Amino acid sequence: MLCEKCGKNHATTHIKTVVNGIVREYNLCSSCAAQSGYNTNSITGMLASMLGDMPSPKLQSQKTCKVCGSTFADIAHSGKMGCSECYNTFKDEILPYLKRVHGATQHTGKIPNRAPLIVRPKEKTIDELRQELSRLVADEKYEQAAIVRDKIKEMEGNSK
Amino acid sequence: MSRWYIESSAQNDIAVSCRIRLARNLQGIPFPARMTADDRRELNNRVKNAVLNGNSPFAKNLKFINMCDIPEIQRYAMVERHIISPEFAAKTDNSAIILSEDESISIMIGEEDHLRIQVISAGMDLKKAYDLAESVDTFLGASLNFAFDDRLGYLTECPTNLGTGLRASVMLHLPALENNGEISNLIDSISKIGFTVRGMYGEGSKSLASLYQISNQITLGISESNALENLKVIATQLIEKEQAARQSLDIIKLEDICWRAVGTLQNARILSSEEMINLISRVKLGKGMGIINKECSPIKILIEAQPFMLMQVNGSMNADDRDIYRANMIREALL
Repeated sequence: MLCEKCGKNHATTHIKTVVNGIVREYNLCSSCAAQSGYNTNSITGMLASMLGDMPSPKLQSQKTCKVCGSTFADIAHSGKMGCSECYNTFKDEILPYLKRVHGATQHTGKIPNRAPLIVRPKEKTIDELRQELSRLVADEKYEQAAIVRDKIKEMEGNSK
Repeated sequence: MSRWYIESSAQNDIAVSCRIRLARNLQGIPFPARMTADDRRELNNRVKNAVLNGNSPFAKNLKFINMCDIPEIQRYAMVERHIISPEFAAKTDNSAIILSEDESISIMIGEEDHLRIQVISAGMDLKKAYDLAESVDTFLGASLNFAFDDRLGYLTECPTNLGTGLRASVMLHLPALENNGEISNLIDSISKIGFTVRGMYGEGSKSLASLYQISNQITLGISESNALENLKVIATQLIEKEQAARQSLDIIKLEDICWRAVGTLQNARILSSEEMINLISRVKLGKGMGIINKECSPIKILIEAQPFMLMQVNGSMNADDRDIYRANMIREALL
């Protein structure tokens, strides 16, 4: 497919806009997309512009971060958080955007040694194992189920 | 171990260097954009004490430097050696850096995040570089209270770094893919799967030295090892494509281009930065393909002939004088 704007390059950026309920689709090459303000290479710029697109009530909200005093408008304007507490203060506002930028909202990487909440991922693992166990039982895979059952027992024992 | 660009010249591979960066922040201090002078001092002291205290395994190897104690020329020479960011070099506040002797480990204090732990090394051993950065992080994390959330991971000033705080990158030399035009399509497809490609030494996707840096963008919802593995897979594919593209180059034309580059570098009396970068890239290609067997270190020359690197050796010069000095320096290096 060729770019709708220049008609020369291969269209690699596909943009869907919804304005007043009317859906429109554009197929642009990367340079025309960048010229139209859809710069796919700059996530920071994208984030600031996405946050800036917030409905105005949220931007006018008087809620401020109790540690650094940032408002959500400050954050939307700069694309940067004021302090670590801002993530807590503005969690509801920021989560949808994190989802759009990263495609996820649950950290799965390194956990610092002293993190007090280290238990939570472990609990989740037991849950996952329980689900796996019932799946295995339903499939009549009893040998594998026994291994999983022992694992759960062991973990339950550790957490007591 | 020597500095990455000296080491890299010895290996002379398509993969020039790789870099790991971990973004970390301390709880209770606002992020750098909102720090007061007092916050800044507090941050410097806490990090300095954590890194250099008596039982630190890194104390011997690492040095704490206040950026305001470093002259401007040396600061920008550090940018040219890829040790610090241009934004950090431009800072006039109380920023500081912790640096290892061979510059493989650097910790920028008070850049966009409180800490930017960086490891840079020649070649593409991402795992090794990550392990080193991770050990510094683990050590520091034991005494500094890093801002961490069980859902969002390590908290960073910019939400794009949230989660692992890991930005891993690989610098590749891709002249043949640039020559056959494949590179722009590859950049397009790579950027669609959560990675960024940017040309070094040039604007936008056009790279003067055919050097491209590929880095991960996604930091939340992906583990460090998966992010590194994905980057490695992409870089390996690019390297294979570059190798294939090199095989279909017209050998006599290639020899001509490479040897002309050597000829110019050996004889020029005035050499701009841009021309030098272009020619050095050809010499590197020639060496990589076994056309040029001359003893020389393209990446080392490329870095050492950058404007501030030259001035670090020879004092402040205007652009014209630098071009003459650069030509002299390279003539000697290629004798």
